[in-house]
Amino acid sequence: MSRHHHKKRFKLRSFYLWHRYMGISAAAFVLLIAFTGLLLNHSDDFEFDKQHVRSGLILDWYGIQAPQDLRSFFAGKHYITLMGEDLYLDQYEIRGNSRQLAGVVFAGDMFVIAVNDSILLLTLQGEQIDYLRGKDGVPAGIQQIGIDATGSIVVRTDYEHYQPDADFLHWQRRDNDTSSIRWAAPSVISAQFKAALQQHFRGEVLPVERVLLDMHSGRFFGRFGTLIFDIAALLLMFLALSGTWIWFKRKR
Amino acid sequence: MQWSLLLATVLICNTSLAADAYQTPEDFIAQAFVGEIPDPGIIWLTGKRKEAVKNILGHRYPFLRVRYWRQNQRSVWILQEIGKEKPITTGIIINHGRLERIKVLIYRESRGWEVQYPFFTDQFKNARPGEIEHLDRHIDGISGATLSVRAMKKLAALALFLDAELKELEHVSPSP
Repeated sequence: MSRHHHKKRFKLRSFYLWHRYMGISAAAFVLLIAFTGLLLNHSDDFEFDKQHVRSGLILDWYGIQAPQDLRSFFAGKHYITLMGEDLYLDQYEIRGNSRQLAGVVFAGDMFVIAVNDSILLLTLQGEQIDYLRGKDGVPAGIQQIGIDATGSIVVRTDYEHYQPDADFLHWQRRDNDTSSIRWAAPSVISAQFKAALQQHFRGEVLPVERVLLDMHSGRFFGRFGTLIFDIAALLLMFLALSGTWIWFKRKR
Repeated sequence: MQWSLLLATVLICNTSLAADAYQTPEDFIAQAFVGEIPDPGIIWLTGKRKEAVKNILGHRYPFLRVRYWRQNQRSVWILQEIGKEKPITTGIIINHGRLERIKVLIYRESRGWEVQYPFFTDQFKNARPGEIEHLDRHIDGISGATLSVRAMKKLAALALFLDAELKELEHVSPSP
């Protein structure tokens, strides 16, 4: 065997060693990228865009915190609570975005909730009966909601008091004698209940698909994550090229 | 350059159409009646009616009661159904048990806004409850607007069903 041939073989062997070490280094990335890519390909089938991460560790990693200020009313032996833009009947989330919870009363087997300057009617089970806005005749600027001595609903706006008919379709002004009205007043909820709501709130923020995308791109691993994944991508390109080169050389 | 300008124009137009109000529900109701608008009525979606509505829509209606405006044999409904992700608000007029008019009032989806055009909505004219997706006729779809078309068909069928329910209620408890 000639010296030239030895040198050539040595070069190929050294290149092969490099190829092997790089292959091992890239293995973890390949597995992670391939696995997350596989899951993302079937994101619609598994509904990853609709499912949310509930792991406290991951939520903490993303810095997702629940609002600290909660406004809660106790009515009909249940708590109606506004946290952020989420409205809860006990621990059950009511669909839609909410803000400015002015008060809640329980009347005629349903909750009458003054929220978003509108009136939301809710069953005991949390089903929405109706959502009435200004265009439906609901007075603007509701500050308080209450029940008078006859059991009728009354709302207080900045200047006036109004009362709806039985179906909440027509509202009329009533006299400002409020002595017989029991106004809904905010309640204090226990720390345990607050923690449970906050846990629920956090568990509705981060879609699984977002985490998979971040893992796939490396963003999940912080500032240097994408850089590391860029290097991994270069490694994989090198492996593909070196593997092909070695294969051709051996074949010869 | 010309092509990029054209593309930009199309994109801008589509973006503006992503949440477009073509007519307010109040205007639609006012337009539907000559003279004074009747007081709204309420129909509850409970019991068997709730199940029937679920059968038409494929899911529960988001509220347990629906408002309507009725004068003689004409009823007007403002109903919503999600096409793909966001609700499409429609105004529907039923006259003597047949669909007189269906109109997209607010369209919030990013694709499928073609369902607003008369070439599509005119197909529903005179439709009655039937066997073809709860309607008495086949409604031609629109490529790229499948989910919006489906939502419109469901809403038409729902309005026809609710109008029929009103008549049923009248028979059970005739007004004084």
